[in-house]
Amino acid sequence: MKNLMEHMGVEPGRLQFSWISSAESTKFVDVVTKVTESVKALGPNTNYVKKSAAKV
Amino acid sequence: MKVIKIDKKTWAGGINSLRSGYRLIGPVVKGDAHDFAELASDEAPDMAFGNTRLSPKSVIFPQSEPMFTYSLDESDPEHHILKDSTKDYSPRAVIGMRPCDAKAISLVRMNFDTPDYRDPYWMDAYDATTFVGLACDNPCTTCFCTSAGCGPYHEEGLDVLLSDCGDAYEAKALTEKGEKLLAAAGWDAEGDVSIFEPKKADAEAKITCTVETGNLRGKNSLDLYDAPFWKELSFACINCGTCTYTCPTCWCFDIQDENKGKEGVRMRNWDSCMTSLFTMHGSGHNPRTEKHQRFRQRFMHKLKYFVDKYDKGLMCVGCGRCVQQCPANIDIRTICNKMNGYEAAS
Amino acid sequence: MESYIGKIKEISERLLNDGTVECVVGFRKGTVALTNEPCMITKASDVKDLVWDSNCRLNLANYLTGRKEKIAVIAKGCDSRNIVNHIIENKISREQLVIIGVPCKGMVDKNNPESLQSNCATCTHRNPVIYDELCGELVEEQTDVDKYEDVRAVEAMETQEKWAFFEELLSGCTRCYACKNACPLCYCPTCFVDESQPQWIGKGTDPIDVRTYHFLRAYHCAGRCTDCGACEAACPQNIKVRQFTKKLEKDCNELYGWEAGLTVDQRPPLDSFKLDDPDKFIM
Repeated sequence: MKNLMEHMGVEPGRLQFSWISSAESTKFVDVVTKVTESVKALGPNTNYVKKSAAKV
Repeated sequence: MKVIKIDKKTWAGGINSLRSGYRLIGPVVKGDAHDFAELASDEAPDMAFGNTRLSPKSVIFPQSEPMFTYSLDESDPEHHILKDSTKDYSPRAVIGMRPCDAKAISLVRMNFDTPDYRDPYWMDAYDATTFVGLACDNPCTTCFCTSAGCGPYHEEGLDVLLSDCGDAYEAKALTEKGEKLLAAAGWDAEGDVSIFEPKKADAEAKITCTVETGNLRGKNSLDLYDAPFWKELSFACINCGTCTYTCPTCWCFDIQDENKGKEGVRMRNWDSCMTSLFTMHGSGHNPRTEKHQRFRQRFMHKLKYFVDKYDKGLMCVGCGRCVQQCPANIDIRTICNKMNGYEAAS
Repeated sequence: MESYIGKIKEISERLLNDGTVECVVGFRKGTVALTNEPCMITKASDVKDLVWDSNCRLNLANYLTGRKEKIAVIAKGCDSRNIVNHIIENKISREQLVIIGVPCKGMVDKNNPESLQSNCATCTHRNPVIYDELCGELVEEQTDVDKYEDVRAVEAMETQEKWAFFEELLSGCTRCYACKNACPLCYCPTCFVDESQPQWIGKGTDPIDVRTYHFLRAYHCAGRCTDCGACEAACPQNIKVRQFTKKLEKDCNELYGWEAGLTVDQRPPLDSFKLDDPDKFIM
C-alpha cells in the first residue's frame, strides 16, 4: 500500500507503518517521535486532500 | 423561419463575437475522442466529429451539481440552514450539438418540467442555454435515430440547425433565441433554405440500422416484465454505468451531503439504475438485487414505461453511444426488437 | 486463433449432450465491429453461436462467480489464471468446472485493431495454466518481453510529476465502474464504493474521490491481479487503469516472486505469513 501510495504521488514519509507490541513503550515513543518529525518536515498535505466539498 | 448563410471565413469571427454575450460550450478533442466542454477564450469548437463520447446533457445536468451549502458550526447563528448554492445562469450556448442530443434534452425536459413540478436547477440551466445544432451528414454505423423518432436533420429541441455545405454553413434559425444568437454573432447573409430537404434525405438514407418499435405501446407491461428473455439477454451485462452515463436521455440522480470540517454541501450526482445501490431502501430491503432485474428496468423504462406514460415515443434517440461503448456488447437495438416482437404465451 | 472454434464447438456439444455440464460459458458474435458478447449456452443446438477470435477480451472467470451448476468455460491463459484465483478464493469449485483451454496469441486493441492489447503484447502466460480439454497445440510463451517499462517510467518521476501523471490519467473518468465490474476479482457483495455506513468516499466527480476509488480498487487486487486487461478493455473512456494494478503486480513479483493464478496448490502471499516475508516498509 505504501508503495502504491508513493507511486501515485503521495510524498514518501506521509504514510508510515510500524509494528509495536503493547510491551514496547520505548519503541512506541521512538516511532511517534520519528513519524512526527518526518511529517513536520514535509509540511501540510497538499496533494491527497479534498480541497472543498463545495468545489464541484 | 430565417435561413442564414455563414461563410466559414466569418465563422471564427462570429464565434468570437458570441463570447461577450454567451458562455460557449462546444465539441473539443479530449484524449482520443470528442467531448463537449466550455471553450477557452481562444478556443474554437472542433466541428469535425462523428459523435462525442459523452452527450452534452451535462451542460444542463452536470454529473455533480451542488444544490445547497450549510454550516455545521453551532456558533454560527445560521448553522444547519440550507442555503442555495451560487449558480451561474448567465446565457450560454452549445455549439455543434447533434440533433439526437437536442431531441434527448427535450425528452428529459418532460421529466424535469411538469405541471406539478419544475426542477429549478435543470430548468434554469435549460432556459439559459441556446442550442445550436449541427446536422449529421455522415452518421456513425451504430446510429439508428431515424427509427427512434429522431433523425440527422431533426429540429426538435434546437434553436439553430447548421448544415455543413463545404465553404459555408447554412443556418436555420428555429426559435427567437436562435435568431438572437445568429444576430449576436453578426451572421446575416441570406441563406438557401432549399438545401435542407435534399441533404436531409441523403443523410437519412445513410442510416441503415433500425429498430422495430411499432408494437411496444400495445404490449402488456406485465407480459414484457415477465418475458422469459431477460436473464439470457442480461447474461453478458456487467452492470456498470457506461450506458446510463453516456446516454443523453438518462436523467436519474442521487442526492448526497458532503461535509468537510464544519462546512457542507448538498449535491446531486448522476445515478445509474444498473447499480444495486440505486434501489436500496433505508430499511435494507432492495427490490432489485439481481442483475437481470436492473437490466430489465433500464430497457422497460426507455422502451415501455416512458412510451406508455408520455405517448411521445421512445426514451431513446438512437445516438448509438451505449451500443458503441458497452464493454459487454449489450445492444439496445437487439433488445428493442425482442421486446417489440414478443408474444406472451396465452 | 480462429481455427480453435471448430474444436470449441465439438467439445461443447459433447459436454452438453452427455450431460457432463449444464451450460457452456463462451462468446458469441457481437453486433458491432471488434466486439464479442459473453454468453451462456445451455442447449447443444445453440453451440453453433459460439465464436472465438481476437476480440474475446473480457475475462470469462467474471461470469462464474458464485454459480452453482456444472459449467464448461472457455479459457485463454488469463481466464484460466482467474479461474485458479476463483478456486483459491472459494468462488467456484474445481469439481464444477470443465475448463476448455484455448492457447492464445493475444487479443487486439479495441481502438487499434492493427496491434495487440498492451497487456497481451507482453503476456507471458498465453497458454491456459489449468484445463480439462484443449482446443489446439500449446503456443510458445514469450520470454523476451519487458512487462513493466511503463511502471518504471512512473517510478522514475518526482513526487509531483507522479501526482500530475495520475491526475491526467484519470481526468476522463466518469466512475461508471466498468473497470471494477469487468474484473473477475471484484465480487464483494457490497463494494466499498457503495458502502454508506461508513461512507468511504464521496460519490461525486471530485478528482480526489475519483483517485481514491481507483487506488483502492487496485489495492484490493494486490497479489490477485493477472493483468488480464479486462478493466482497460471495458473502460469506455479508454483510461489506462492498469497503471495502478501493474505497479502492485510488479511489487508482488519483486517482493514475493509471486504471479497470481498459476497454481491452486499455494496460498497467495498476501493471505499467508512467512517468517521471511519482506518488511522493509515497517519502521
